Amino acid sequence: MAASSSGEKEKERPGGGLGAAGGNSTRERLLSALEDLEVLSRELIEMLAISRNQKLLQSGEENQVLELLIHRDGEFQELMKLALNQGKIHHEMQLLEKEVEKRDSDIQQLQKQLKEAEQILATAVYQAKEKLKSIEKARKGAISSEEIIKYAHRISASNAVCAPLTWVPGDPRRPYPTDLEMRSGLLGQMNNPSTNGVNGHLPGDALAAGRLPDVLAPQYPWQSNDIAMNMLPPNHSNDFLLEPPGHNKENEDDVEVMSTDSSSSSSDSD
Amino acid sequence: MAAAVAMETDDAGNRLRFQLELEFVQCLANPNYLNFLAQRGYFKDKAFVNYLKYLLYWKEPEYAKYLKYPQCLHMLELLQYEHFRKELVNAQCAKFIDEQQILHWQHYSRKRMRLQQALVEQQQQNNTAGK
Repeated sequence: MAASSSGEKEKERPGGGLGAAGGNSTRERLLSALEDLEVLSRELIEMLAISRNQKLLQSGEENQVLELLIHRDGEFQELMKLALNQGKIHHEMQLLEKEVEKRDSDIQQLQKQLKEAEQILATAVYQAKEKLKSIEKARKGAISSEEIIKYAHRISASNAVCAPLTWVPGDPRRPYPTDLEMRSGLLGQMNNPSTNGVNGHLPGDALAAGRLPDVLAPQYPWQSNDIAMNMLPPNHSNDFLLEPPGHNKENEDDVEVMSTDSSSSSSDSD
Repeated sequence: MAAAVAMETDDAGNRLRFQLELEFVQCLANPNYLNFLAQRGYFKDKAFVNYLKYLLYWKEPEYAKYLKYPQCLHMLELLQYEHFRKELVNAQCAKFIDEQQILHWQHYSRKRMRLQQALVEQQQQNNTAGK
């Protein structure tokens, strides 16, 4: 009995020793403390049983075991308290985690809404910019209605874009400047100052001749003095590979020979 | 003083150039004139083609308001294409353009005649109904 008990003691001690040193978590420590208590109490009961049979004095050992038992019990109680605290803390942690989750979901919700709002705003801003662009464009091309009406009146009254109501085939008037008009204009006059009335067409075109002032009148520039300097034609460069005077010479040729050509085409002006 | 004189001659030169180019660009509305130019080979001259391109400034509203014959702008645009310039050598082409231009020119008078006829018919109907 004693041998077996001491053998058990030896077996248990390392187990107990291991239990004390290796258990880090509270649970393991609690369990090891419980094991120790179990071991010690078993030993004590065996010793008591033995001592009843043998009546030998083993008081030293009994005391030792008792002290160990008490000590272990104390540790156990402490560990229990610790476990209780830890439980409370764990509970609080769970509550807090729940709170954190709630807030997290709130934040995500807000984020979604913010993104939506951003998208809507971006679209709105883009459309507003487009509108502004088109407003700018419209404003750039804005012409006063009075000016447009004046211009429309000018080009219609002179029958430039709309035929005269009494027009019949045979009428020399045309939607473009006729050769007579061309020759009597500045281009023609510049190179042929003396040929006014020489051409064979003119006597036949008495009607057209009577309209000469009409022809000259709409070409406003030299009658009115309101050409601003910035209205003048753009760059006067020599890009055309030709001198301007040479260019006018072409017009001279054009204008002189025009009469023979137009006689064939505007045959209805007899 | 000299600068002012120079400015004046410059100004006068510019005004003259303005009038000349105004007249010339409007002459382009005349298909017979275009045929004339084509037959004399002006459209083959690179300088002339460049000049036609330069004349496109008449499309700007500040310049266009001086044009009496706005059709010239359309002809000017067409003239930028070489195919058109080549076609204009044919007299038939010029004649066709001329006819179409005159027919278009008469568009409003035709429309007016139709309206007047309709009005007259309606009045006749009213008269007969009244009687």
